[in-house]
Amino acid sequence: MEKILTKKSFPAWVKNLQSYTVYAPEKQENLWSYEVIQNPDKINLEYLNTVLAPKKITYPQREIFLQFNTSKEGKPQIKEVLPEEQPAVIFGVRPCDAKAITLTDKVFGEEPKDPYYWSRRNQTILVGLTCNPPPSPNCFCLSVGGSPHSKEGLDILMTDMGDKYHIDSLTKKGEKLIKAAENLFKPASPKDKKELEKIQRESEKKIKREIKDIKNIPDKLKDMFESPFWDEEAMSCIRCGICTYLCPTCYCFDITDELTSTLPLKGKRVRTWDTCQFPDFTMHSSGHNPRPDKASRLRQRILHKFQYHVENYQDYLCTGCGRCISLCPMGIDIIEILNKVRDYE
Amino acid sequence: MVNLEEIKKEAKNILEEGKVKYIIGYAKSSNALMAAPTFVKKPEDIDKLIWDPTCFQNLVKFLLDEKRKKAREKEPDIRPVGIFVKGCDSRAINVLLQEKFITREDVYIIGLSCEDLGVLDEKKIFKKLKGEEPEKIEFDQRKNIVISTKEKTIKIPLKEILAERCLECTSSFPVISDVFWGDRNNRSPKEPFKSLEQIESLSQEKKWDFWQQQLSKCIRCYACRSVCPMCYCDECVVDSINLAITADTTAEEKSQKIKWIEKSPESSENFGYHLVRAMHLAGRCIDCSECERVCPVDIPLRLLNKKLEKVAKELFDYKAGLDPEQPSLVSSFKDEDPEDFIR
Repeated sequence: MEKILTKKSFPAWVKNLQSYTVYAPEKQENLWSYEVIQNPDKINLEYLNTVLAPKKITYPQREIFLQFNTSKEGKPQIKEVLPEEQPAVIFGVRPCDAKAITLTDKVFGEEPKDPYYWSRRNQTILVGLTCNPPPSPNCFCLSVGGSPHSKEGLDILMTDMGDKYHIDSLTKKGEKLIKAAENLFKPASPKDKKELEKIQRESEKKIKREIKDIKNIPDKLKDMFESPFWDEEAMSCIRCGICTYLCPTCYCFDITDELTSTLPLKGKRVRTWDTCQFPDFTMHSSGHNPRPDKASRLRQRILHKFQYHVENYQDYLCTGCGRCISLCPMGIDIIEILNKVRDYE
Repeated sequence: MVNLEEIKKEAKNILEEGKVKYIIGYAKSSNALMAAPTFVKKPEDIDKLIWDPTCFQNLVKFLLDEKRKKAREKEPDIRPVGIFVKGCDSRAINVLLQEKFITREDVYIIGLSCEDLGVLDEKKIFKKLKGEEPEKIEFDQRKNIVISTKEKTIKIPLKEILAERCLECTSSFPVISDVFWGDRNNRSPKEPFKSLEQIESLSQEKKWDFWQQQLSKCIRCYACRSVCPMCYCDECVVDSINLAITADTTAEEKSQKIKWIEKSPESSENFGYHLVRAMHLAGRCIDCSECERVCPVDIPLRLLNKKLEKVAKELFDYKAGLDPEQPSLVSSFKDEDPEDFIR
């Protein structure tokens, strides 16, 4: 269902969504971040890439699985904690970040389905925004099968058309949001649709960075596991977690027990994000570490995204948001690495 | 003046003579505003080397990797590593020498003076560009930076966009080196601790609120620790990598492995991490402020270290990294110390 909404009416629409927790990009000091919006009049959809992807909402960095304590008689009590189901809408989702959520959906959707992830995910509505212009100079969604106006994973795609938005409702969840304030929307005219196509074509031309012949890369990587290439490329890596924590597709986690008291035993079992870039990620209890150095960890990041995930799910585990490039303190650039892989002899 | 061609000539010579294993320097990266570390092994690759105010990184961090690599090899190449160092970076080398983490023979120091400048602060530049992306940059006579974006070309005086630490720097030239370029003029900034003024003026409650808000942003990516040349512990307080478990390790031993700081990015844990780090850097931090530069969520970490630097200066007249032979701040005392507990 294609509709038109004037920019003036946008806050009125959001005000009609009171039964939802509404998130939108908000500028905090110098950085953009998805935050809960109290005042819809203040939503600014002309934003650059947020530091953290909306993954931080659908798959938070920390969540409690269960609580445990021992009673006076020494009996252990365990209580499962599921996220409180609260319907949420995220405005201003970039198409790359929405696509990323479809990738984590597949991973957490494998049997047995992850109830923690899904109780939150099922309640989340994603309202996207066509990227025109691209929000980062390192955007490369076109190279990994995406586009600045891709609808994949979204419930609604909004496109900025000057003084109005084109609103493309893509799912039942999206319809429901529009029904909440139906009188604000007008049907899109054939002229609007033509204008939309033009904007979308232009938005693609503005993406400057590219991985050429990416389809050859997964096969190429298979023969490069033992290559000294990784030692060279990882020389400048400092093994921080920026590239993976900011990645909208990275989903690795750790589960730990956090004690608040030892006698009586009390605490929580929590899941927190973890990353293949940290030395203790693969540390065995014996002290042996199968990925002992930063070269093997950089290799893991690239191979997971461009070989293993392709083998397991027929898709790259990368949606071209460019965050890992823009924020790497040492200038490590995944596009340059993959272009080198492609040309490696 | 620092002459890049002369540096390249020296780099080529030492590589050809086999005097160094390789040279850690700077090269261009895909980000016009930031150089990237580069590791030059062959004389024919020296043309990648650059030297300008985009050379932010403190390359001394990579000496830690080199040390660990050498420790793993059966017959390591014991030749020194050539390394580009700025004034602040050279103080990091001095602290590593002072702490006997490296020896003087491990490094061949290519000292480069920042002279009257320093390095850029990307955040200050982005503010000036108002959202436009830099496509090309040029330096005009060490006075201005000329930035071309899609829309326009703008000229900004370098002094307006230098990193805070460079504006407060008292010794902008390497204090230890094997070869050296540029001047050795001491700077005397009027207010070397100016960046602390605002936070110091706050009440205790306001300070607490400020840090509560700042540290709650931390996502525990540990980039601040990972980039710090002083953070070389094999096991960091936040890691749990060194508990080797054998067939004889009991469940009790495993459970008694103390976890000082949980993985959760909760406020209390974030405070634990950042304050432990700050305390471990007292009298060691040489103010390269890389921790603050790399923080993806813009936590002003330099304030913590700068405060400790000020305390060390005021109470003990101590400045880190000026001399590899000086006793370290926290492992020495003076007879005239007014406190009794020390004796």
